[in-house]
This record gives sequence, structure tokens and C-alpha cells, in this order.
Amino acid sequence: MLLRSLVIQGVWNYRTMLGAGFAFALLPTLKRVFGDDPVALGQAIERHSEHFNAHPSLAPIALGAIARLETDGADSDTVRRFRTAVCGPLGGLGDTLVWATWLPLVAVCALVLYWFGAPGGGVALTFVVVYNLGHLGLRAWGLRLGLDSGRDVGARLTAADLGGVARRLQGPLALGLGVLCGVILASPEGLAAIGPVWVGFGSLAFLVGLVGGHRAWRPAAVLTVVVIAWFGLWGRFS
Amino acid sequence: MPVVLYRVDERLIHGQVVVGWGHELRPDRYIVVDDDIAESSWEQELYALGAPEAEVLFTSIAQARERLRMWDTEPVRSVVLTRTVAAMYGLLDGQGGHFDVNLGGLHAGSDRIPVLDYLHLTARDREDLNVLAGQGVTISGRSLPDAPKVPLDTILSS
Repeated sequence: MLLRSLVIQGVWNYRTMLGAGFAFALLPTLKRVFGDDPVALGQAIERHSEHFNAHPSLAPIALGAIARLETDGADSDTVRRFRTAVCGPLGGLGDTLVWATWLPLVAVCALVLYWFGAPGGGVALTFVVVYNLGHLGLRAWGLRLGLDSGRDVGARLTAADLGGVARRLQGPLALGLGVLCGVILASPEGLAAIGPVWVGFGSLAFLVGLVGGHRAWRPAAVLTVVVIAWFGLWGRFS
Repeated sequence: MPVVLYRVDERLIHGQVVVGWGHELRPDRYIVVDDDIAESSWEQELYALGAPEAEVLFTSIAQARERLRMWDTEPVRSVVLTRTVAAMYGLLDGQGGHFDVNLGGLHAGSDRIPVLDYLHLTARDREDLNVLAGQGVTISGRSLPDAPKVPLDTILSS
């Protein structure tokens, strides 16, 4: 189930989001529980293919808990209600812990290493290994937590205080970001070397982001790619 | 402060509500109006995890009807959430006054017809919404504060 959870976003779509991936990850458990009854198995697969959305790294918590519920013979209404209720907290906690803390923390540490002279290949490898140690460890922990707790996983999640873990990691993240900004500003190969044109583009992007908020990121990203491509072609053919 | 948002969303407390609407409206309290969840401690634990920075209150429809006027005058900003149109109908039917209901997220189901990307309604939902609209309740679809507001007439004609 843990390995299958790695592809839970494999058929992501706007209608059911992670639903089909969720059913795929749960399939071995469903076959074990309903194996002798193809009709009940089909209904269970259909039930678990319905809309489900949570952070993919914390989805194993839901998978484990629902595997436990199905194994214990919980009624379909309880399973459906659990599935709906668990989406919100797993989405919010996952976004805070993984996207807003762990990923940027490891990325910033890797960039600091690079700016202090570590070889690029080694830095990239370190980033991939360290990020996935945390990410895969979180998935394995979550699956075990869900299997152990079943329907009462909420109390165990409250006790685990993942929000507190994220807050404690945000200190080192802020420190790493400060060090990175310092070396980028101070290094002779840093901002001082890129010239006024790029500083101008950077300032413009900052202002657009400030005024437009998150609504500006998509057009700003498209504009950035176009400008970089234009400069690349200009350099190639001039 | 009044209730700052009445929302129908089957996922109740989740990212769109806490981050999207929460950052816009700065509520102090989320009130979940649902007869089943009001009696289910494990569901309450799960939903409360979604809004760690705010108070989360769970109440039945009958209790909510009694407290509705009080919430509107208390010095806290409240967001009232139901997971079905039927529960919102049960809460506001015959209450009078002006209410503004946001339809935020009802996903696909076997008896539901899609009307917007994030909104799928049953025939009964349509009837309930029509009755509330007839009583003066303003109803519109909107997933997030910066998304376009879709009036009920447009929703029901799709």
C-alpha cells in the first residue's frame, strides 16, 4: 500500500482528484476483505474512487485508517464520512509541513551549500536524498498511524502536533533563507554581477507580485519564460 | 460582528475555506451545522484539525436555528458551514431577514447533476434553493473570494 501510495496522483483529475489513485492504493486491502464477493468488491472500489483530495504525502494516513475500517467491517456510511472528514486536515497539515516548510528548507540548505562551493552534482544528490528521507519517512509513519488508529486518527494527529513540527522547522528555514540572501548579495558572482537589466526584471516581477498577489503568478511565469527564451535566441543568433 | 459567511461545502473545513476565505474574512470561529457531526466526536476531532487557529463549534440544525440571531450580534466573526443544501435549508427556512449564502463545493455523485466545476446539485437541492431564494435569501456560487460570483439564476439555468 505504501508503494502504491506513491502514485496516488497518477490519474488526478478535476472531478475526483485523488479518488482513482486512492482506490488503486487501497486495492490489495479491498481484495483481501471482499475477495469472495465480487459485487461487494466492485461497490467498495466504486466507493473509494469517489472524490478525495488531501496532501499526497499525508494521504497514507487516510489509506491506513480506511484499510483498518474496512478490515474491521465498518459500514459504508462511516467509511464515506471518514473519507470526507479526513481530507481537510490532511490537506492543510500537508501543505504547511511539506510544501511550505520541508521542501523549501531542504532546497534552501542545498542552495547555501552550492553557494559555499560544493559541487553542483553532489548538491543535487544531497537535496534528492534528504528531501525524500523526510518525505518517504512521513508517508511510512502516516500509514502506520492510520493502521493503528482507524477512525480515531484525529486524536493521534492532534497529539502528534504536525503544525508544531512545521513551526519548529520554520526557524531554521528563515535562518537558511537569510544566509542564502546574504551570500547572493555579497558574492562577486551574485546579484552584483547580473547587471541592471535582470535587476530591473526582478524588481518588476516583485512589484507585479506585490500588487497582483497570487493572481499574478501565472502571467508572470509565462512572461518570465518568454523573456528568457527571447534572450536565449537573441544570444544564439546575434 | 455578524456572521461573515454562510457556506455550503461538503468538505466543510478545508484549505479553500480556512486559507482562501479565512484570509479574506478573518473569522474567529467556524460553526459547523450538521445533525450527524454534532453527535460524532471522532468527526469533530478531524474537522477541528483543519482550523487550528480558530474556535470550531459543532451544532445541530435545531440548536443553530435558536442561536442564529445571537451569533449575528456576538463580538466574534463567525463562518457558518453546512455540508449539504438540505442542512442550509433547514437552518434558514422561515428565518426571515437577509442572508447571503455561498455555494462553495458539492462534488460529483450518482444523483447529482453538474452545474459548475465545483458544484453538483440534486433535484431536491434545486427545490430547496428556489424556496430559500423566494424567502429573500441571496444565493450564489463561488469557490474562492477571487473567483467569479455566479448568481442562483445562472446556476439553475445551467
